[in-house]
Amino acid sequence: MTLPVIGFAGLTHLGLVSAVGAAFKGFRVVGYDADAVRVREITDGRMPVVEPDLDDLARTCAARLSYTARLTDLRACDIVYISSDVPTNDRGESDVSGIRGLIADVIPALASHAVLVVLCQVSPGFTRGLPLSPERLFYQVETLVFGRAVERATKPERFIIGCADPARPLPEAYAAFLDAFGCPLLPMRYESAELAKIAINCCLVASVSVANTLAELSERIGADWSEIAPALRLDRRIGAYSYLAPGLGIAGGNLERDLATVLRLSEATGSEASVIASFVRNSRHRKDWALRIVHREVLARKPNATFGVLGLAYKENTHSTKNSPSLSLIEQLKPWPVRVYDPVVPASVVPHPALTAAPSALEAARGSDALMIMTPWPEFRALVASELAAAMAGTAVIDPFRVLDPAAVRTAGLNHFTLGVSTTVSGSAQ
Amino acid sequence: MLEHLHTKPVKPRRVVVVGAGGFVGGAIARELARDGVPVLGLTRKEVDLTADGAAAAVTEKLEPEDSVVFVSALAPARTSAMLLQNLCMAEAVGQALSARPVAHLLYISSDAVYADDANPVTERSCCQPSSLHGMMHAARELMLKTDVKVPLAILRPSLLYGARDPHNGYGPNRFRRLAEKGETITLFGEGEEQRDHIYIDDVARLVALVLSHRSRGTLNVATGVSTSFREIAEKVVSLSGKRPEIRGTPRQNPITHRHFDITDCLKTFPQFRYTPLQDGLTRAVQPGAS
Repeated sequence: MTLPVIGFAGLTHLGLVSAVGAAFKGFRVVGYDADAVRVREITDGRMPVVEPDLDDLARTCAARLSYTARLTDLRACDIVYISSDVPTNDRGESDVSGIRGLIADVIPALASHAVLVVLCQVSPGFTRGLPLSPERLFYQVETLVFGRAVERATKPERFIIGCADPARPLPEAYAAFLDAFGCPLLPMRYESAELAKIAINCCLVASVSVANTLAELSERIGADWSEIAPALRLDRRIGAYSYLAPGLGIAGGNLERDLATVLRLSEATGSEASVIASFVRNSRHRKDWALRIVHREVLARKPNATFGVLGLAYKENTHSTKNSPSLSLIEQLKPWPVRVYDPVVPASVVPHPALTAAPSALEAARGSDALMIMTPWPEFRALVASELAAAMAGTAVIDPFRVLDPAAVRTAGLNHFTLGVSTTVSGSAQ
Repeated sequence: MLEHLHTKPVKPRRVVVVGAGGFVGGAIARELARDGVPVLGLTRKEVDLTADGAAAAVTEKLEPEDSVVFVSALAPARTSAMLLQNLCMAEAVGQALSARPVAHLLYISSDAVYADDANPVTERSCCQPSSLHGMMHAARELMLKTDVKVPLAILRPSLLYGARDPHNGYGPNRFRRLAEKGETITLFGEGEEQRDHIYIDDVARLVALVLSHRSRGTLNVATGVSTSFREIAEKVVSLSGKRPEIRGTPRQNPITHRHFDITDCLKTFPQFRYTPLQDGLTRAVQPGAS
C-alpha cells in the first residue's frame, strides 16, 4: 500500500512537534491551523515554539511537510490528528470549547475513509461523545515533554490507543503509520486510554511529591537528597528513570490539569482521592521554597536587598511560563529591585514595578545581594562562581536545581542554597 | 490568605477596639495610638458583652467609617458555660454590626481552630478544634462570616507572650514569673514540645497593617520558627539573672509539636518582620531593656 498521509489540525507545540516527527518517519504531512499568520510563520521556518532539534528536523523533512490554513486541504489525509491546545484555568480545569469547535470544523472536511484521532488531553468520556462513526474515531495518548518533545515524538515508548472496540484491528492506514515507529501498541477502550494518560501523570507527580517531601526533610536533618536519589534509582521497583529530582512544585499546566480531573471525577463518583489532594498541597508548598529562603536568609539580614533572577521559563529548553516558579517568586518581590535574564523568555512578561532586563546572566547577578537561578537552563552551568562573587554585592546564591557546583560556589565565598540539602549561612553544607 | 482592599495603606478614620482592656486589645490600642490612629477602646466597663442589651450598647458606639477590632473573649474557654458565654458575646457584636455596618471588621481568633496534627499549619489547614477554646473561635469566625456583611479579616495567632500578659499559662509568661521569683520551673516531660511563640507587639503591628490595607480573609500569626518549652525556659532563666531550677517530670502525654508555614504572611506583608524569640523574651523579661 502507499504510505498514508497524516494530517494535524492545530499547529500547537504538540501538533507541530508531532507533525515534524511523522514527516521524519517518511510520511507526507499536512499541518492545518486556522491562524493564517501562524501558518505563514511556520512555512517561512519561524517556529513559534522552542524545542531542541525541532528547527533542524523541520528543515530536513521540509519536502514532506506542508502547512495550511484551509480546512479543505485535510481531505488529502488518511489520518487526521486533533492536536490543538486545551487551555486550563487557575484551578487546572480544562476548557474544551475550542477543541469541540475544531473537531466540528474538521469532521466535514475529512475524506470519507479518513480516521480522526484525538491527540490532546481530554477527560475520560470525551472521545466517546464525539459525532463520528466509532470505526473511524480514536484517542491517542500524547506524552509530550516540554524540552524533550522531538525525542518523544520520534522515539515513543509505546502508543496507547483508545478505541470503541479494542478487539477489532486498527484501520490499515492508522496501523501502518503507528507501526513505522516500531514500538508496542496498546489498544484499549476510549475511557481507559483517556485515564491512562492521567494515570501516567499521577505516577510522575507521586514520584516528584515523594522526592519533594523527603528533600525538604533532608534539608532539615542534615541529609543530602542528591546522595539518596541514585540509591533509589538502582532499585528495580522504583526505576532508573523515575522522577526523583526535587523541584519547585508542579508547573506547565498539564500535570495540574490531570490532578484536577481526578479530583473532580472522584468527587463526582465518590471515590477516595485524598492522596491527589496532598500532591496539590505539596506542590503549592514547594513553589514558594525560594521565597522562604529569600526571607530567611537574605531579607531578615538586609531588608533593602536587591535581587538577580536567572530564568523565567517554567523549565529549561522551553518558552512556556505557565505556572512558572520564577514568575511566582518575582511577583512576591515587588518591594525590591530585581534584575532578570532568560535566554528565551523576554522580561516584559513579568509584571514588576522595579524590574530590569539584563543582557546576560552575569549582568543579572551584578550588584545583587542574592542571585536566584530559577530555571536550570544549560547555559547557566557555564557561570563561573568566582565571577559571580565578584559581580554580586551579597553572597546568597539560591540555586534550587543545583545548576552550579556547590563546592565551587562555596570556594568563591558564596552561600549556596539548593533543594534537598541543608546549608548554613557560612556556606558549608551540613 | 488576606486580600488587600487598599493596595496602598490608608490610615483608618477610627478604630473601635472591642476588648481594649485585655492583653491583646490593650497592645493593639496602644500600637494604633502610636500610629496616630483615633481609637475608641471598649472595655468591660464601657460595654459588658455578656449583659442584656450588649448589642444595642455596642451599636450606639459605632460610626459607618469605623474599623472594628473584636478581640474580647473569656479565655481560655475551658467549660461549656464559657463556650456559650463567648458565643453570646460574638452574637452581640454580630447583631451590632448588622444593625450598624462599619467599614471593616477584624476578628482575633486563635490557632486552636486547627486540627492538632495539621503540621505545618497554613491558612488552608483543616479547622478541626480539639478544645472548647478552639471550637469557640471557630464558631465565632463562622458567626461573624454569616452575620456581618462588611469586609472581615481573621487573624489566628499562635501562643502569645509579653510583659503585660495577665495569664499564667505554661510557657514564657509562667516561666518568667517563676524565674523572677527564683522558683523552680517545672516542665511537662522534659519540655520537648515545640511551639511557635509570638511577641505581643507583633500581633499589634499586624493588626495595624491589616486595618490600613482594609484586608479581608484569614492570616495566621506565627513566626514560622517553633521552639521547645525547655529551650524557652532556659532562655528565660538566662535573661532573668536568677538561677532557678528547670525540672522535668515523668511524661504523661505523647509529645506533640506545632509548626507553621508562614508563606502567606510573607506574601501578604512582605516587609513585615517578626521579633526574634530572643529579642521578644528580652523585652518580656526585662521590660525596661528596650
